[in-house]
Amino acid sequence: MAGSETVIQEYPDIAIRLNVNGRDYVVTVKPYERLIDVLRYKLGFTSVKEGCGRGECGACVVLMDGKLVPSCLVLAIRANGSKIVTLEGLAPEGKLHAIQKAFLDTLGVQCGFCFPGVIIATKYLLDRVSDPSDEDIKNYLEGQLCRCGSYLRFIKAVKLAVKYIKEGKIYFDLKEVKG
Amino acid sequence: MAQVPEYVRIVEEVFERYRGKPFVYVGTYRQRWDAVAKVTGKALFTTDFLKFYKNVVWVHSVRTKYAHAIIKNIDVSRAAKYPGVLRVVTAKDIPGVNDVGYVIPDQPLLATKKARYIGEIIALVIAEDPYVAREAGDLIHVDYEPLPVYTDPLQIVDLDTLKEKPHTRIHEERDSDIVAHFKIRAGDVEKALKEADVIVENKYRTPMQEHAYMEPEAAVAIPEQDGGVTVITSTQCPFDARKAIARVLNMPQSMVRVIAPFLGGGFGGKEDVANEIGSKAALATYLTGRPAVAIHTREESIIGHSKRHPMVTWYRHAAKKDGTLLSVEANIVLDTGAYASLGPFVAWRATVHATGPYRVRNARIDTIAVYTNTVYSGAFRGFGNPQVAFAVERQMDILAEELGIDPVDLRLKNILRAGDRTVHGQLLTEEHGVGIEEAIKKAVEAADWYNKRRLYTRQTGPIRKGIGIALMYHGNSIGVEGADYSSATIIINRDGSITFRTGLTDMGQGAVMGLVMIAAEILGAPPEWFRVELPDTSSTPDAGPTVASRSTVMGGNATLVAAYKLRKRLNEVASTILGCSPDDIEIKAPDVYCRSDPSRKTTWNEVVEQSFWLGVPLQEFGYFRAPKARWDEETGQGEPYITYTFGAIVSEISVDIETGQVSVDKIITAYDIGKVINPIGAELHAEGGSIQGMGYALMEEIIHDINGVVRNNNLSTYYIPTIKDAPEIIPLWVEAGYKRGPFGAKGLGEPSIVAIAPSIVNAVSHALGIRFNEIPIPPHKIYLALKREGKTRL
Amino acid sequence: MRGWGIQRFNVYIPSSLEDALKVLSEKGSEVTLLAGGTDVLVLARTNIVKLKLVLDLWPLRKELSYVKKEDGYIKIGALTTIDEIYNSFLTKDRRYYGFHDLYWNFGTPYLRNLATAGGNIGTAHPLSDLSILLLTLGAEVKLTSISGERWVPLEKMFLDIRRLNRRPDEMITEIRFRETPENSSTALMKLDRRKGHAMGYIVTAAYMALEGDTIANVRIAFDSTGKPYPGRAYKTEEFLRGKELSLETIREAYNVLEKEMTRISDYRAPAEYRVDLSKVLMKRCLLLIKSRIEGGV
Ligand SMILES: Cc1cc2nc3c(=O)[nH]c(=O)nc-3n(C[C@H](O)[C@H](O)[C@H](O)COP(=O)(O)OP(=O)(O)OC[C@H]3O[C@@H](n4cnc5c(N)ncnc54)[C@H](O)[C@@H]3O)c2cc1C
Ligand code: FES
Ligand code: FES
Repeated sequence: MAGSETVIQEYPDIAIRLNVNGRDYVVTVKPYERLIDVLRYKLGFTSVKEGCGRGECGACVVLMDGKLVPSCLVLAIRANGSKIVTLEGLAPEGKLHAIQKAFLDTLGVQCGFCFPGVIIATKYLLDRVSDPSDEDIKNYLEGQLCRCGSYLRFIKAVKLAVKYIKEGKIYFDLKEVKG
Repeated sequence: MAQVPEYVRIVEEVFERYRGKPFVYVGTYRQRWDAVAKVTGKALFTTDFLKFYKNVVWVHSVRTKYAHAIIKNIDVSRAAKYPGVLRVVTAKDIPGVNDVGYVIPDQPLLATKKARYIGEIIALVIAEDPYVAREAGDLIHVDYEPLPVYTDPLQIVDLDTLKEKPHTRIHEERDSDIVAHFKIRAGDVEKALKEADVIVENKYRTPMQEHAYMEPEAAVAIPEQDGGVTVITSTQCPFDARKAIARVLNMPQSMVRVIAPFLGGGFGGKEDVANEIGSKAALATYLTGRPAVAIHTREESIIGHSKRHPMVTWYRHAAKKDGTLLSVEANIVLDTGAYASLGPFVAWRATVHATGPYRVRNARIDTIAVYTNTVYSGAFRGFGNPQVAFAVERQMDILAEELGIDPVDLRLKNILRAGDRTVHGQLLTEEHGVGIEEAIKKAVEAADWYNKRRLYTRQTGPIRKGIGIALMYHGNSIGVEGADYSSATIIINRDGSITFRTGLTDMGQGAVMGLVMIAAEILGAPPEWFRVELPDTSSTPDAGPTVASRSTVMGGNATLVAAYKLRKRLNEVASTILGCSPDDIEIKAPDVYCRSDPSRKTTWNEVVEQSFWLGVPLQEFGYFRAPKARWDEETGQGEPYITYTFGAIVSEISVDIETGQVSVDKIITAYDIGKVINPIGAELHAEGGSIQGMGYALMEEIIHDINGVVRNNNLSTYYIPTIKDAPEIIPLWVEAGYKRGPFGAKGLGEPSIVAIAPSIVNAVSHALGIRFNEIPIPPHKIYLALKREGKTRL
Repeated sequence: MRGWGIQRFNVYIPSSLEDALKVLSEKGSEVTLLAGGTDVLVLARTNIVKLKLVLDLWPLRKELSYVKKEDGYIKIGALTTIDEIYNSFLTKDRRYYGFHDLYWNFGTPYLRNLATAGGNIGTAHPLSDLSILLLTLGAEVKLTSISGERWVPLEKMFLDIRRLNRRPDEMITEIRFRETPENSSTALMKLDRRKGHAMGYIVTAAYMALEGDTIANVRIAFDSTGKPYPGRAYKTEEFLRGKELSLETIREAYNVLEKEMTRISDYRAPAEYRVDLSKVLMKRCLLLIKSRIEGGV
């Protein structure tokens, strides 16, 4: 604030332990740092996108101990000791998860900026409701803004993912998909 | 007569040759080249590159407190001393030109004497981390002398006379706050008015719309060893960004390299602001010798990048009893905000489209663009057309009502058909592809229009249904707005794989996929064999700006030309291998054979390998330039565009009359895009454009308070449609081929939003019997209109 | 307007409620309580608040996250999230179906996993759905400090916009309301420019108990009835109490509501609309409650 005294504060470094996508990390963070910044810039999980930083767009959502949270509104220190899943960790290396495959197959990709969030939110949905109705899908994805307007494809994709999962097809070989 | 250039001949030849024949790749449903990267999270957007760079400095923009004020003094001394701050930058530290204006040099990168809108940047703080930069920014002290703030263009000009009103000049360096004036003068309006049976006259308003692409703007700059700078930035126009940055840094363009990685949406918004943010990061790198990053927060993005121009219009339509349009007059005021940006071009496009896709022989159109103290407006999908289309299509519905003619019938009576002249005197022929009649018929049939229109006319009960139609046309590419060229490079590598390079960006719209499909069709190799290289001014050719729905037509033609030349050479090489004539060679990679005797065959790889041995080059550069547009400044007569995309939209809605809430139930879009190259891309445009257009109709508007402060600078208060709002969307296509488009194709990127809002508002007006001439119409406006007419009961 | 991200601040991570209360008693005036953070961390992006020392309440979820029935009360721990409330027995009991509405209307799924009951009250902001619903249940708030605890009726908790009736050394630890009779239920509604992710032009909630067709008891709350925080429409409630529930009665109640309610006009909507919408949503809530009591959902 202009005019006020400049007070220089000290902010300690705090070591936190995170499990991201199945691997353990120890990172040093500042008390005010957000989970999104640690995931993106310190650990390199850049599938986590920042669209607003205000909990409004859903681009940054991750699963934290199984719960869908906006990583832009979670302080890094709060994630200490928790298990985080980002899009990078949805399937083992070289594989695609049924949800990813379904989002591919329904051909809804446009700019793709919202996709990591949408796919993670879908994972959360299917963890809670195994066979969602259209209404369930809309309820669970209402916070995932997509300005390119792929919404109708999302609904199709979630349903296709359910079908794959029911058929026992959880993972797909990435090589086959790429052709 | 001038010689027809080779590239035009090639495009026309290909159009004729493929016409009516089955395609192998064009028109098929295919996975986008970038889809896997995007569903696995591997696709890199601008800020994602940060993870690769160490020792980065952060750039924070200090913005004005007043929307209109004289800057008397800027004191950065305290900020400069703040621990962690490396540099505080004001205008005097800029080595080159302090300007990022797009069409006219009216917009400083850093303000010096005056602030003209609330997003105006006064200084940059470069610091070791973003928090420090921001805290130091708060220590910069600016002495302002506040001036009166104008947030409505009608405070600047009078709608009836289009003359300037007395006010404190916003751009004191110019002799007027009117930036541009375009006209159409056709036929004899006075006479038409005398002959008219019905005259319909109304005022319309459309709001400032925010692009709200999901990725806010960002730039990462990296110092190069020779003193140059590489800038990774979210830009739709990497070559324009390079030009702007080079000017700011006072460097030759060759020293500035701009890379446009994946873009999280653009819609026209990532043009000027990319020049600005790219310059900010580049400047920080230039001054510190370190990698630099500038990221706009969502709030900054909303107050700091160009918007869709708000528009105020007055329209008068005259018609005969049978519905024949006699004349159209309009006064159009475009609010370009604090800076011109692309305002003059937008104003021109609005003027060209000001009478809609109708036969209008008598017209007087005056369009002016004026400055205000609002966030500046620039390019946004549709580029001036959605605003005038809203007015024109409301006029047509009101006219239909006054005449007692069905809105569809009235339109069918007046639409442009091959053989007609546009209001600019441009003769439309079969060669342009004029498919609007077919589009209307398809949409109307799919909607069961006549039945529903009747059914919904007399309703009681709390929920009222309505159905509405709107038409549009949209000139392809940029017309007289600039140098209208494009280019692409195709390289066949020695292992048979293919590299595709263009400077056109893919901001999500998937246009590049269409180009790959065009190349694939001509070369005979599957699209999956192509690797697309993202725009990089150091490797991809300058393809002109990615705007104006020009990717498919202009970029497509350039691609087609390159592929055509390569194919010719491949055929010749194959001919030497197989012994049949080059014209007899069929390529269905991996197979290559003689059409007359398919048993004589070889492989793609063999042909490629032989080409290397024979010294036949397998790289080709394709170029295409549109025929020059013609436009008479005084009369608006000429040939403004090479061709037009046409469309008919039917929307169905329901209104809850107790609350005014509208549900859009269904949108049927029928577009004539000449040839559907990439059907999935086209469908996604129809869907995305519909949803954005629905937002424009019902909820979206940037609101400035009287001090010019943006009230809704976030995504909770700037409403965009969610998945719960999305209606059912049925895309239909008409393929009235355009002779000079790739396989007959025309553009769709921008057209897909143009007529959505009027179709929805026409439907709401139909449902309620109330005329809405302003958008957006959120629930409260609808409810209060119902209440005023005594049509609601709680 | 500030730039990138949030501010810098220090955080104290308490080991227990005790510990947290100790810090509050020592440094109360410079402490900002952080529960879910969905309000605090958004505000931290502006110059409106300057965070100095943030007291992270999340570790207290061990003790303060619960929904339980005890001594004729329903008790909700201050750090219970909206999601946890939804997953409790409340949404399975038709008397409390209002919590169903709350869940599906509250922000978005990911916010529901962070936003807490205590934080919702703590914002002292009109558009606080849970507070509005709790007002209709006659809830009380437990404020705890190192020196003890006190119960305050929820309607006495708000002093002004973003001003809570709380001493700097206190924090909210629990919210409770009496179990409601069998023949009662609750509902909450809002409406906005868009259907998803809606903040609400206005928010309405109601509790009603019916005896036959007679309104035995009713409480109606709005995001605002005049003051810039959630409040009840006492006069309208009084008018309705004892009357037979019918469309006519409700319409008569409109007049009472109109008189006791003052609404603001702002860039989102004019007051006139907010008042009329309040009537409509009140009507719809009451009718929905009736159908819920009769076995509907
Ligand atoms: C995009 C978005 C959408 C939203 N939508 C809704 C909505 O639909 N409905 C709605 O009601 N709200 C909504 N909110 C607002 C917010 O999420 C809620 O008010 C939420 O309940 C706040 O809880 P919290 O735990 O996150 O609070 P915090 O942000 O942690 O705290 C909020 C305030 O309460 C104080 N506080 C927190 N805990 C305590 C305590 N135990 N004792 C005393 N004071 C305390 C804090 O100091 C702070 O002042 C929305 C917010 C966002 C960002
Ligand atoms: S960035 Fe976190 S919700 Fe938008
Ligand atoms: S695909 Fe672009 S925002 Fe969803």
